[in-house]
Amino acid sequence: MIKIIRAEWLKLRTTAVPWVLGGIAMVINGLLILVIFLNHGSSGGGPFGGGDNGNGPTVVFGPNYPHTVQQLRNLVGSGFAGYLLALLLGVLIVTTEFRHKTVTTAFLITPVRPVMVGGKLLMAAIAGAGLAIIMFLTSMIGGGLTLVGVGGSYSSLLNQVPAVLPGMVLVFILFGMLGVGIGSVLTNQVAAIVVTLGWFIILEGILVSLVHGAARWVPTGAAEAAANINRSRSGVSSLLFNWWQGSLLIVAYGLIFAALGSYILTQRDIT
Amino acid sequence: MPSAIEVRSLTKHFGNVHAVEDLSFSVETGRVTGFLGPNGSGKTTTLRMLLGLVKITSGTATFGGRRYQELDKPDHHVGAVLEATSFHPTRRAEDHLKMVAIGSGIPLSRVDATLELVGLADVARRRVGKFSLGMRQRLQLATALLGDPEILILDEPANGLDPQGIQWLRTFIRYQASVGRSVLVSSHLLSEMEETVDDVVIVSEGRLVLQTTLAELASRAGTSSGMRVRSPEIDRLTAVLQTIPVGFRPLSPDTVAIDGATPEWLGPVLAQNQIVVYELVHERGSLEDVFLQLTQGFAAGLPGTGEGDGAAAGQAPPTPGLTPMPGGGA
Repeated sequence: MIKIIRAEWLKLRTTAVPWVLGGIAMVINGLLILVIFLNHGSSGGGPFGGGDNGNGPTVVFGPNYPHTVQQLRNLVGSGFAGYLLALLLGVLIVTTEFRHKTVTTAFLITPVRPVMVGGKLLMAAIAGAGLAIIMFLTSMIGGGLTLVGVGGSYSSLLNQVPAVLPGMVLVFILFGMLGVGIGSVLTNQVAAIVVTLGWFIILEGILVSLVHGAARWVPTGAAEAAANINRSRSGVSSLLFNWWQGSLLIVAYGLIFAALGSYILTQRDIT
Repeated sequence: MPSAIEVRSLTKHFGNVHAVEDLSFSVETGRVTGFLGPNGSGKTTTLRMLLGLVKITSGTATFGGRRYQELDKPDHHVGAVLEATSFHPTRRAEDHLKMVAIGSGIPLSRVDATLELVGLADVARRRVGKFSLGMRQRLQLATALLGDPEILILDEPANGLDPQGIQWLRTFIRYQASVGRSVLVSSHLLSEMEETVDDVVIVSEGRLVLQTTLAELASRAGTSSGMRVRSPEIDRLTAVLQTIPVGFRPLSPDTVAIDGATPEWLGPVLAQNQIVVYELVHERGSLEDVFLQLTQGFAAGLPGTGEGDGAAAGQAPPTPGLTPMPGGGA
């Protein structure tokens, strides 16, 4: 399995995919950090606490930069939404092989197809963790420097790392693997990307607004649950599972897709 | 010596399409076997079933008794060249080979060795997207050779190659056989392969037409000659020919083709009957003609053109092509 993962890593780093996604991730994170500083007093909405209690923006009296536990956690985890990029990375790890027909070579090297899917799951997990670390470092460097620059305390930011980082890494890993599962079911790259983004950007929101109880069951809800370790949140968080239930739910989604994908790939003729 | 590849009653149905039907043949160790048939005759499907890429409907396709998926380190035993497009365009040639080597547990030193062998050492750092078709084919060959396999499977490797490339490929394949490798190479053109292969497996519409040696096929080609005669007295000529056990067919109102005839046989016949002749052409069959007749005849549902030598003089069948010498040349 180690040689499959080493080969997968070579495959991944010799395409533009991880570098482009990594770049996009850092740019988006930079913008989010900016938004946090511009909005710092108006609302603490975000996966790591605060939240809208239904009465409109909360007016926070205090210094002109993030300083409450919730605000600092939001800054540490400002790249959290990048788990969708980890998901996309997982999708691309599989579908790129089909798009460029390199899957023929891949199956000649590893003829037992579920083994290859397994290798890609692990690769996506590693890449997901890597992406989480990149996002985290962007927050700690970009966000941290800005915070210090406007008079905040870097140690107060560092103090929130243990509460945020493990959950964030976990979610990125699990979503990377979920992406591999989705990609092995939907091997057409365009279809896989459209369906995945369509679900997360449009369909999921519609579903949750129609059926509130679905919030805890959809992947985004599971991701927020999995990441919100030690959180104190009101409102929507009461609808979510706790962190380990959320994690298990993502794992379950990932396994269902990966198992289905392995089965489909095993049946499939590579012509 | 055991066969390197054994295909037994191999069948593949894609829905209602019977791509391969009850196909059996073997590839002998240390020989080059040409896998020949027109486009769409099931060659690629057969090779992909051998390699575990296409699911087998029924039958077996094995290397020394084991399926590709059951081989320990399969690409140390079997190297395959399939289509020329299966590279990631932004990946460098060297990285493609490294990826295969790492995934298969092959020492990285083999990467440079195989690049050198196929003549791509100079462009090792170039991205494959910038490669010509010929260079891609060479890179495919390098990929297949990485694990130093004893069996090579090449699917239409001459496609897209220029004449120099084809010459290079022939030398390459002969060299592989000379160092003891078994090669199964598919082509839709026998002429492309006739200087290269030892044995031929001819398929048409997914079925085996003939498995034989090239030498045997060549001797058939020798017997598939005939004479073409243009004459103002075509009716008299036909009447004479009907009294002799020989196959013939009109080509135009004044021309007739006589299967298996030689000038030495036909000259006296024409002289005896005092038939005026405007044109006499001795047509010798080429291997390609035999191949075309075998596959077309098969496709048209003609019976057993591939069976036996048909040495029975005097019973020349009306089918064109593989008819014997009439009357043994008497």
